[in-house]
Amino acid sequence: MQFAVNIVVLASLYALIACGYVLIYRVSRVLNLAHGELMMLGAYLLFTVASSVSPSPAIAVAAALLLSLAVGVLVYLALMRWMTGNSVLAAVLLTLALGIALRGLMILIWTGQPRNPAVVLHIVNPTIEIVPHGRVSLLSLLLVLTNAAVYGGLFALLRFSRWGVRMRAAGQNPLLAAQRGINLHGVYAMAWGVSTLTAAMAGILMSLDTGLESTMLTVGLKAFPAALVGGLDSLFGTLIGALIVAAAEVFLIQDVDPLLSDVVPFIVLLAMLIVRPWGLFGTREELDRV
Amino acid sequence: MRMRAIWALPAAAMMACTIAAGRAAADDSAYQVGVTAALTGPASGSYAPILASMRLYLDRVNKAGGVNGHPVKLIVEDDQGEASRAAANVKKLTVDNNLVLLVNDSLSSTYLPTMAEVRRADMPLLFAGICPKEVYPPADRLMFCASLFGAGYDTRNAFDFVKEKAGGDVRIAVIALSITVSRAEADYAMKYAKEVGFTAVDEEIAPPTTPDYTPYASRLIAKNPNWIYAWGPWFMQVKVYEALRKLGWKGDFICSAQMDAGPDLARIKDPHLYINGPDTLVSDNLLAHQEIAAASKQAGLSYPTNLLVEGWIQGTVITQALKDTGWPATPEKVRAAMSKVRVGLGGVRGGDLTWTDTNHFRAVQYYRVWHWSDKDGKVVVIQDWKPYDVK
Repeated sequence: MQFAVNIVVLASLYALIACGYVLIYRVSRVLNLAHGELMMLGAYLLFTVASSVSPSPAIAVAAALLLSLAVGVLVYLALMRWMTGNSVLAAVLLTLALGIALRGLMILIWTGQPRNPAVVLHIVNPTIEIVPHGRVSLLSLLLVLTNAAVYGGLFALLRFSRWGVRMRAAGQNPLLAAQRGINLHGVYAMAWGVSTLTAAMAGILMSLDTGLESTMLTVGLKAFPAALVGGLDSLFGTLIGALIVAAAEVFLIQDVDPLLSDVVPFIVLLAMLIVRPWGLFGTREELDRV
Repeated sequence: MRMRAIWALPAAAMMACTIAAGRAAADDSAYQVGVTAALTGPASGSYAPILASMRLYLDRVNKAGGVNGHPVKLIVEDDQGEASRAAANVKKLTVDNNLVLLVNDSLSSTYLPTMAEVRRADMPLLFAGICPKEVYPPADRLMFCASLFGAGYDTRNAFDFVKEKAGGDVRIAVIALSITVSRAEADYAMKYAKEVGFTAVDEEIAPPTTPDYTPYASRLIAKNPNWIYAWGPWFMQVKVYEALRKLGWKGDFICSAQMDAGPDLARIKDPHLYINGPDTLVSDNLLAHQEIAAASKQAGLSYPTNLLVEGWIQGTVITQALKDTGWPATPEKVRAAMSKVRVGLGGVRGGDLTWTDTNHFRAVQYYRVWHWSDKDGKVVVIQDWKPYDVK
């Protein structure tokens, strides 16, 4: 049973990070290679707010999330907006450069020293036996629940809200959407904001559970296969992709060799790209765009 | 006009470089010490504070008149913890400057290329990170190490302590990180466990980028150990420990005391978590710790004092070595002086640091063991200084 619990927790982490990749790609056709760095930035913002402004968990987390949302919007308005109309490759390269720049800035500002936001916020993280022989930390449980809530929220946003419909329209046919009066820059900025917000949620929960250090961004990279395996434009597919990748990783650590944990997500990705490059639930035509 | 303007820029850049190089070469009133350090990159959290406090110590020495009347100048290059960058840095440092000593303040993965370059330049090399086997007897003539990490001896003291504490059947599991020295120490630990009569039940090696150590903790628990030993970067050790407790494991855990260990021990408050190491904890509040804290505050450093102790020790050793060298200095004179150095460390370690012609680690390595005491409500010493002759 602990095996299953480990899979669900890891899958929730990957899914929460990967939904950001999918959201931006689905709406603007850009692969955001700075996603891991934005996730880590959210965690550092939490630490800074907690140490310098307020040690109240509610205030610190809310402030960090709002700041992350603002960062996402700012990234679009200041950088990605100028890529509109240019080749997709140029936009992807820009996100790569942004990620490297963010990494350097974070080291300069916060140094590479490990931090512990949970200590600053006086958050206790007890162990809970959620099922017989299945234990999880409180923050890991919160991660699972947050993931469920985020996906529910995103499904509702994209399906039922006006802005969600606009986002889907912009993703399917930006030219027609613009001609119909949809403010593309507004839609893209919102996508970047929400994507960075969800990444920050993952970063914040991870840092509260296991501490914050500069290697955290590699988890963002390991979540990328979850998005590709499920289908880069499918949120539901991302959930399934995250489960597959997490299950493979936990199984191989447990029963084969722990050192495979780093490469497993990418082995799964390679296998999927060979067999079904558009992912389990992705749209086949998307492959040409990528 | 535009063509001339285009060529002016690279010409100006070349002139600036030449002037800078000339300035470095002409600065021969100072002891020049080159440093290749992981200032940025994933490992910078461990290594940047060491350089910061080394610089802090040497700035104080320079303000007080320098060594033998000459300042000590640190020339630093960032290698980001990457072997190729470290090699390029060392080449550049040795070619462009009149160095008398080189310092490697970076990951062990940078050691081999750094060592190759200093052998080519016949330059003494001081390791500020984990001590490689080249410094143990019979030591390589150019390699020296003053840092707290003592591969082999850390494990020996830990297991000797466990044997004394447990007094009976010990089923021990070992976990380390998949980096060279950590793996090597884990392998040694499995071997030494058998020598001291333990049952070595499991050895786990985790990749450095592991986000969640729960699966590794599950594997360890499955083998039913009553003791678990971890040796690696502090973040790995503490995350494994927390994952074990999360899964309900109630055994005893012992690991290597590093710069971050003291505050975490006080935070976790578990009497069954032991740390084993050669440096005193900052909570001991020795005069040396107060001095470091005061200097750090004056310099406006943001690192906590516990992260600055190691670099302070490095600065102390460098100063003593250069003092013994005299002036003018050459790499060979510095090397010869370092091979006979003896320096007091203000009680921060169990004894003086002494190097000889064949031993560039230290003649005696001392260890203490600490844990949280519920009775005293603080971190206490449970085993006082125990010496190990380094042979």
